[in-house]
Amino acid sequence: MKTYFFSALLIVTVCSTSAQTFITRNAYIKFFGSTPMENIEAVSNQTSSVLDVAKGEVAFQVLLNSFTFEKALMQEHFNENYVESEKYPKCIFRGKIVGAVDYAKPGTYKVTLSGKMNLHGVEKDLDVPATIIVEKDGVKLSSEFKMVPEDYKIAIPGAVRDKIAKEMAVTVKAAYKPA
Amino acid sequence: MLSLFGVAKAQDDLLDALDTKPTETEKKKEIKYTTATFKGTRIVNMQSPEIPGKGVMQFMFMHRFGAVNDDFFYNFFGLDQASVRISLDYSPTDWLNVGFGRSSVTKAWDGFLKIKMLRQSTGDRNMPISAVLYSTLNYTTLRFNDGLPHNESDRLSYSHQLILARKFGDRFSAEIVPTLVHYNLVQTKAQSNDVLALGFGGRIKITQRLAITGEYMLQMPNNTYFDEATQAEVPFNNALSIGFDIETGGHVFQLHLTNSRGLIDPQWIGRTPGSWANGDIYFGFNISRVFTIVKPKTPEEPAW
Repeated sequence: MKTYFFSALLIVTVCSTSAQTFITRNAYIKFFGSTPMENIEAVSNQTSSVLDVAKGEVAFQVLLNSFTFEKALMQEHFNENYVESEKYPKCIFRGKIVGAVDYAKPGTYKVTLSGKMNLHGVEKDLDVPATIIVEKDGVKLSSEFKMVPEDYKIAIPGAVRDKIAKEMAVTVKAAYKPA
Repeated sequence: MLSLFGVAKAQDDLLDALDTKPTETEKKKEIKYTTATFKGTRIVNMQSPEIPGKGVMQFMFMHRFGAVNDDFFYNFFGLDQASVRISLDYSPTDWLNVGFGRSSVTKAWDGFLKIKMLRQSTGDRNMPISAVLYSTLNYTTLRFNDGLPHNESDRLSYSHQLILARKFGDRFSAEIVPTLVHYNLVQTKAQSNDVLALGFGGRIKITQRLAITGEYMLQMPNNTYFDEATQAEVPFNNALSIGFDIETGGHVFQLHLTNSRGLIDPQWIGRTPGSWANGDIYFGFNISRVFTIVKPKTPEEPAW
């Protein structure tokens, strides 16, 4: 009797989550650039993200001044001189989830996120590989990709060119709950 | 039909879903603190409201060449009478900076404390200015040569400042600095041990990494020195400095012109005999370099 009740409950929950929006406000984002002179690493766990199951869409939004660096001065320069977070406070990605995902069936799915990234007032197309893990009580999404700051008109002066990597490796990890 | 339309509109942007239920922690994060009101911890000689970040140590080297009107070429462009100060400071917290230095003028040691009291912010807390308290204790090791008996306390002088600063947008920042300097020893009875002054400082950014700076220290006119030639009390001049801030990665390079040769606060604030009009102009620079001693905590990567 108890088993029946719980399996019925489970089916109801899965059905309801499958037609749902998933949300997180503390997704993890790291970017890392390495040169022989210096490593740059910054982390934020204050990224908001929404995943719409029905439309197969996902959106991310992070406040740039929420990134923590290992060096306080680097953080100041990041905000003041590079991304200009006073003028352009957010980085936003909106995209489609390309690839089959069965949100009713727990498992790991390899997909591509295809959409537009808006950073530093510049919008660019971005296609990145991602992994979606469907669990009983939520969805997880992780992605690793490279991005080039200069694509977003983030100028890097000659004097520090050797210290800042051309490409930044970005890691995203988001654990969603039903909205 | 209407409700359907409403739903469709709400779903237009996925991120709208975030606006529905902002959590308590998110509400607190709405305070937006102003950063980088000035590039360096000093404008030229005067303190800015900035301190190095938590866990960061700063090494600073200040250098003033001899005056341009003082046999400039004979003295190898003023290099022969250079005045220098070296200092180290450290910020154990976000709001406190402590340090010490040694300067060649009056062979003085100085210790200082800088405390951030208010931070300019917008959002849920609107604070129009930053306020920073700055105090120094200065000890000259110069030998007394007046043949008079002296107490050890005669070597001490103090300065206290309240730095009230505001960043007006991206490019322009300004500060007003009420100042009190106390000298344990003065030359004559006519002279006051306490000097009140009001400092003004500012900077204008030309590019992201280049700024023009300026500062002026207005003293009460009763601050005088005994002039041997005229046998009279003559007021000291007010220190006026203009400069350039050049920022390159881990350090700030400041170039400037000033009529003040002294580098510890009681010297440049209240003991500046030189005047711009007479050509008592000193070319100088400050170089600072920061070292991260304690790394800030960054969020842990999720284990999955």
